[in-house]
Amino acid sequence: MTPEPTAVIHDIGYRHYDGVRLGRGRATLALGVQSLRGVFGLGRTVRAKIMPLLLVAIMLMPTVVSIGVMALAKQFVMPYPNYAVFMQAVIAVFLAAQSPYLVAPDLRFRVLPLYLSRPLTVTDYVLAKLTALAVALFGLLAVPLTIEFVGELLVDLPGPPHTADYLGALGGAVLHAVLLSSVGIALASFTPRRGLGVASVIAFYMFTAAVSGIFAGVLISSGRDDLAGWALLLNPFFLVDYVQSALFGTTPVNTESAPPGIASCLILLAVVAVAVTGVLLRYRKAAS
Amino acid sequence: MTASATPCFATEGLTKRFPRVTALDDLTVAAGTGVTGLVGANGAGKSTLIKILLGLLPPTSGRASVLGLDTATQGLEIRRVVGYMPEHDCLPPDMSATEFVVHMAQMSGLPRTAARERAADTLRHVGLDEERYRPMGGYSTGMRQRVKLAQALVHDPQLVFLDEPTNGLDPQGRDDMLALIRRVGTEFGISVLVTSHLLGELERVCDHVIVIDGGRLLRSSAIREFTRAEQTVAVEVEEGQQRLAERLIAGGETVAAQGRLLTVQVSADDPGRTYDAVRDAVCDLGLSLLRLEQRRGRIEDVFKESTAKEPVA
Repeated sequence: MTPEPTAVIHDIGYRHYDGVRLGRGRATLALGVQSLRGVFGLGRTVRAKIMPLLLVAIMLMPTVVSIGVMALAKQFVMPYPNYAVFMQAVIAVFLAAQSPYLVAPDLRFRVLPLYLSRPLTVTDYVLAKLTALAVALFGLLAVPLTIEFVGELLVDLPGPPHTADYLGALGGAVLHAVLLSSVGIALASFTPRRGLGVASVIAFYMFTAAVSGIFAGVLISSGRDDLAGWALLLNPFFLVDYVQSALFGTTPVNTESAPPGIASCLILLAVVAVAVTGVLLRYRKAAS
Repeated sequence: MTASATPCFATEGLTKRFPRVTALDDLTVAAGTGVTGLVGANGAGKSTLIKILLGLLPPTSGRASVLGLDTATQGLEIRRVVGYMPEHDCLPPDMSATEFVVHMAQMSGLPRTAARERAADTLRHVGLDEERYRPMGGYSTGMRQRVKLAQALVHDPQLVFLDEPTNGLDPQGRDDMLALIRRVGTEFGISVLVTSHLLGELERVCDHVIVIDGGRLLRSSAIREFTRAEQTVAVEVEEGQQRLAERLIAGGETVAAQGRLLTVQVSADDPGRTYDAVRDAVCDLGLSLLRLEQRRGRIEDVFKESTAKEPVA
């Protein structure tokens, strides 16, 4: 005797989708979130997680040391506004390692036409990628700063907490995020090869850092201290440092002969504008 | 529904010139619901036409509309309700098919949970099972083509553009893909515009065929009209092909030999007579019949004929 069948599998065939269809904005947001997660290796292979997590760990080290010194020696050692300049090499490596990930595979494996055959536009795509990288960079800077600030409050050093400096440094983190993400994406999007992208971003950083250092050194040694500050603007981190000082009243790392604040601000704006325009033009061309 | 009531797409004097070539030249054509084939040699302008219909490429002159939406001004609305499977490879190798199709569904505006459900459903419909969790870098061409089709269908479009979906597939994969396309057009109720440079394969799945060459329209008509002209039956026997041919010709049939095959023209006014004649001849001569297969006239023939009539400059 066979038992009565209790469950039956039905082939229900093709079902149409009649649920909600969200707009362009939500699709762009979804792309941004997916890109942001990917920058830190989330939702990717274990290998892809190593580099970003290692760099995040390195970024947190000075914070840990600084809190330790505050707790044990009751001394404030690391001013918030200078943190990004101190850590510039690590941030540059993070930028070089992660910005090509955001743009190169879509170009190399020709996924871009699939995005563009959907309600997304080229501008939405570029915006999502730029924002993802900017948010990642902001987090990379803001998290250690915030941890250190919380540490400072808990340790309760003699004298008032450095709240203004902390807020100024957060403002600086926004500036770093915007400048570095636009430059990073601009450089990385010119090649579909990830390795070349990494190389071009790191080469850009090393070149600007070296050239600005050499120029500044030569100018100072030949007695033209007034021009040295201008030479330092070539380095994106010093550029943001000066803009941060002009906008939020923090003390720049290089105090000698800072160029006028307005000039630094305009240069930063110009660099961002050129980089973003470059990316948009590049993608308009890639789309057609 | 007729083509004139709700054209899936329609073009009017559509012209697209690139600096060096004219991809489309004054193309006026329309297609209704169902499966429409777009046939042309490589470089005939098929991909250009699809890009214009998606609203991604502005035409040099002329107009085009998709589902009643103007491609020049309503590109976003069009891309919301159509799907696109490109000719080229477009799959990132380190993602799994599931992740990728879910992501593409979200890019079409589906919320995350709905995107997951639809992706699972669609991948099942295109015939991708357990392997959908593996990275796509290790997929065969057939599997890759299925994923490409799935991402075009995942948001349940009203119309899909399939650009050379059978490219690079072996004969079995080609048959599977064509059957799948037919299902999309009938069972799923999604209209299809499918391009190919192989004319023969489209006649099996299309309701309507558009032939373009050098960016110009050669012919646009229902598949029945293409193939009505000539109906043949192919016969293959182990030995004695010659004797069979002689016997059939003696019986008044029109017979042609194509290698090991005999193609017998089916009598237009009395089709049964031809089939009976073939059966009787094989029986009487005591031949071993290997194959007996109904054949419609090939679109190729029509294509050749049209090209001959209207040489393209």
